[in-house]
Amino acid sequence: MTLLTSACAVANSDTAGDAGSADGRTLRVVLTQEPPTLEPCESSLTATGVVVRSNITEPLVEREPSTGKLQPLLSTGWRQTEPTTWTFDIRSGVNFQNGQPFTAEDAVFSIDRAVNSDLACNVDGYVFGDEKLEVRAVSPTRLTVTTEKADPILPLRLSFVEIVPRTTSTKAKVRIPVGTGPYAVTSWQTGVSISLARNEKYWGKAPAYPRARYVWRSDASVRAAMIDKGEADIAMALDPMDATGDNSVAYPNNETTALRLDGREAPLNDIRVRKAIGMAIDRQGIADALLGGLAKPAAQLVPPGVVGHNDNLTPTPYDVSAARALVEQAAADGVPVHRRITLVARNGQFAGIAEVAEALQYEMAKVGLNVRIRMADTATHLQYQLRPLPRGVGPVALLIMHGNQAGDAAFTTSQYLLSDGPQSTFGTQELNRRIAAADTRSGKDRQKAFASVLAHQNTEVAQYAYLAHMRGLLGLSPSVRYRPDSATGDEMRLSEVRPATAGRH
Amino acid sequence: MGFFLRKRVVSSAIPLVFVVLGVFCLARLTGNPVDLYLPLSATAQQRAEFSAAHGFDDSIAVQLWDYLAGAAHLDFGTSLRTGESAGSMVLQAFPVTLQLAGVTMLLAILGALVVGSLAAYRPNSLVDRIAGLLSMTAASIPDFWFAIMGVLVFGVGLDLLPTSGTLGGPEIWVLPIATLLIRPFGVLVQVVRGSMVGALSAPYVKVARSKGADAKRVVFGHALRNSATPVLTVAGDLTVGLVNGAVVVETIFGWPGIGKLMIDSILQRDFAVLQAAVLLTAVTIFALNILVDVCHALIDPRVRQAVPA
Amino acid sequence: MTDLASRPTDAVTPSRTRPPRWWLLLGRDRGAAVAAVVLALVFLVAVFGRLFIGDRAVRQDLGASLRPPSLDQGFYGLLGTDVLGRSVLARLVDAAGTTLSVAVPAVLCSLLIGSALGMWAGYHGGVRENVAMRVADVILSFPSLLIAVVVLYVFAPSALNIVLILAVARIPVYLRTARAESAELRSRLFVDAARTFGTPSRHIIVRHILPIALPTLLTVATLDFCFVMLTESSLSFLGIGIQPPDVSWGLMVAQGRQYLQTAWWIAVLPGVAIVLTTVSATVLAAWVRLATDPAQRWRLTLPRKRRGDRAAVPPEMIA
Repeated sequence: MTLLTSACAVANSDTAGDAGSADGRTLRVVLTQEPPTLEPCESSLTATGVVVRSNITEPLVEREPSTGKLQPLLSTGWRQTEPTTWTFDIRSGVNFQNGQPFTAEDAVFSIDRAVNSDLACNVDGYVFGDEKLEVRAVSPTRLTVTTEKADPILPLRLSFVEIVPRTTSTKAKVRIPVGTGPYAVTSWQTGVSISLARNEKYWGKAPAYPRARYVWRSDASVRAAMIDKGEADIAMALDPMDATGDNSVAYPNNETTALRLDGREAPLNDIRVRKAIGMAIDRQGIADALLGGLAKPAAQLVPPGVVGHNDNLTPTPYDVSAARALVEQAAADGVPVHRRITLVARNGQFAGIAEVAEALQYEMAKVGLNVRIRMADTATHLQYQLRPLPRGVGPVALLIMHGNQAGDAAFTTSQYLLSDGPQSTFGTQELNRRIAAADTRSGKDRQKAFASVLAHQNTEVAQYAYLAHMRGLLGLSPSVRYRPDSATGDEMRLSEVRPATAGRH
Repeated sequence: MGFFLRKRVVSSAIPLVFVVLGVFCLARLTGNPVDLYLPLSATAQQRAEFSAAHGFDDSIAVQLWDYLAGAAHLDFGTSLRTGESAGSMVLQAFPVTLQLAGVTMLLAILGALVVGSLAAYRPNSLVDRIAGLLSMTAASIPDFWFAIMGVLVFGVGLDLLPTSGTLGGPEIWVLPIATLLIRPFGVLVQVVRGSMVGALSAPYVKVARSKGADAKRVVFGHALRNSATPVLTVAGDLTVGLVNGAVVVETIFGWPGIGKLMIDSILQRDFAVLQAAVLLTAVTIFALNILVDVCHALIDPRVRQAVPA
Repeated sequence: MTDLASRPTDAVTPSRTRPPRWWLLLGRDRGAAVAAVVLALVFLVAVFGRLFIGDRAVRQDLGASLRPPSLDQGFYGLLGTDVLGRSVLARLVDAAGTTLSVAVPAVLCSLLIGSALGMWAGYHGGVRENVAMRVADVILSFPSLLIAVVVLYVFAPSALNIVLILAVARIPVYLRTARAESAELRSRLFVDAARTFGTPSRHIIVRHILPIALPTLLTVATLDFCFVMLTESSLSFLGIGIQPPDVSWGLMVAQGRQYLQTAWWIAVLPGVAIVLTTVSATVLAAWVRLATDPAQRWRLTLPRKRRGDRAAVPPEMIA
């Protein structure tokens, strides 16, 4: 009997479903996994950022996903005052959720904490690399940021730094963050849910829902069932198979899938073989049958809308006989085309990835290559993805999904195309030179320079056989109005969600 | 009895050491988790610092020594993923699984006793055949398949039960428990039926029957008691097997139990949590085995003398 | 572990009359006969099926994705297609081979090693028995599914590794069963007699203990067959089972679960195959147990009505 009575300890007497009551006052969101932390300086991790960014904490500036333009947030204006220095004006009259007023000192503290501290924050490495910043508050409403080299996109980089009060610990990461955002964390029941309440003193427009609650389910069909059942209002990442017109909306999520071909190992060290793989892929067929018709065949690593996207590149046509001819040609020149290539893909990276891997394996085998599949977990996949690359594993075709959150091709090229880029297997001096040159440009020149870098990679290097620009599926109950954009997967702004009766976006 | 118990506990403690060693080494084989926890572009120096901070750059012997020294003071390390104490995370998750498993086994045993007895009472009758077929089918259905069908049919289609989660009334227990239940129930029905059939045809029962004893008394008074031993043994093993089921059920239904914690800590290379969780399940399994042995000894005096260990 | 009530005490006494032919016995039990036919079919398909289907199981046609079962698409379209346009029928046939080539060796390995160790430990008793039992305790107290996941992530998820890890995980079950049987038998008169005549213990175990313990061990093995197939399927659910383009029933169920609402046949048909095979194996095992037990075999020769008290599954079995 004790078993039965203690059983109630887990089952809180809360009515109607896990994500909260369906009274229309709590916005119920179901995520794919529990955030490992809510630490704001880790918010470039998708699982953390989707909860924290623009809900609990805010950055100085933010990038408008549809236009790519920077919008003022906690900073009202910014300008390059010297070649290596940027100056930001700070919004006044803003308070943190704990009542402290927000000043330039807090912004300085937050940037230092994220970038220059020993916390090993993800955002530090992701957007700043080795760059050391010197940050100073020149007055309560103004700060300057100085870099070692001129950095034309520094404001964009700073849009990843979430602002926290200067009382935040610099020794340890925080579990429950405090920020200036429209919602504050009220409780985090480990393993069960995270509850937020509206910040009634928010400086901007007040969000529609007084409360919000996050839960998580790893199985996509369960997330879809929760929307169908009315147990949740918003569900991240549905499968096309579970989606109906009533329970979901599709949106471009800025992610691009491709095979990264390790050009150091035979037979992938022959450009003919790499190009043949590009021709062997039936991109449209895969997009239609396996990706629910949501994806668009890709010809480069960045989707339209990102600075540097090259409009003139078109997806390699699906041509089995031409591909086979190329492979035979390579074989005739002594390339060991029968050496077994390992196709590594990561479980659950996107809906239908296992089937996509099987399709790719089959299509590559059809043009005369010997391919086996290895489905890996995240940690194993990362070992293949990142330098130092694993040794003695033979030729690897790695199925990658790259999301350019920042909207500038520099973030892609420095990682994926430089010959010693952290996520690149090889490259050429010529490509390195072009990338370095492009990175110093700004405006129209920058766009043109990066577009030519991407074209050069396709014709002369061919490290990537592109698959598709992906589209995400967001589960959305008919009772709420929300328009997802390319940033939704990384940052889901609860304040933009309205009840359906209010009827506005 | 006291001697029996003491001997059993002492001989069980030695394998625990091997469990700790085993899981420690296996976890280390999965590689340094630095890539998962540092930004993609972290420098070699940052990686080295991370490894040093968490002791991953020490030799495995040193790491093991540190771990054992900590474990001796009940300090099982800190989770890489959440920064919390691994011990407290495991203790928080454990009751959830214990409740799931407890309720499941209680229902499975009670249900199996009823269905199994009914089936055994008239062997080869229609009831027996249906019970046999259903129990065999139940024991061979993949649990995740059953769980998702349950969500689709009872959660969405018929709108009778919540789809998942731990917040809500008693109805949230139905699908997770049903999923965990099918296999133990199916197996136990067959065990109960088998041993009851054997017992009912035993001479002493035949005598009781021929003396005109009431049929119900024969079944429940004599035969049921006789089948307690095999049912107990099998139920003990099935309970151990529930850990596997808990991984699947907790993953699908979003229950914060030890199964989900373990699979997450494997995927996240969160060694401290994995070790603490495996250690706690191992201790529980030992306790369970001892409990089963004690029950055997209570039921059957012969076991007390003949116990091998 | 032992159920003394059903143990034949005169098991070694050779039967005077020639036992009836086994297929005649089988013919008398309709359920067991059907089970035998199903199992035979499954094995035939598993062994020879691939010769007939060629590359049908892997031949993709993205244009023919998710076709429901129908009579219009020829033989290979009978059971529909999966999301890659492959014939589900051909895949079921191909998967039968893989499934059995994982399940049968895994069960045989654990059966052989576990029973040998268990009988040896039980016969000799003392320290040897103690050590063997503690080894079994250690293996049993690892959560087997999770350890399988860890090991397969470390050593790549090949079919051979899956067989090994599943075999090791199940050894304790046989070890305990065999130990219990042999510990009980070692004090019996006929074993004592053999020992006094100086028969080496190896011979006693093989000639006197094994024949009596075998039926129980075989029954446990049949049930384990089911366990192995289900665990293999759970591994696929967790993403680390049989790797494509190989295919097993468990992998088909795991991959098909996404399509339960739109294309039921992908996940349901292999599930049915698993259930059919294991139920048949269980039924047949119960029959074999009866037929190989000299004390009980006579029951099978009786007309149906009178042989009511046969246990479908012996109580010794383990999940």
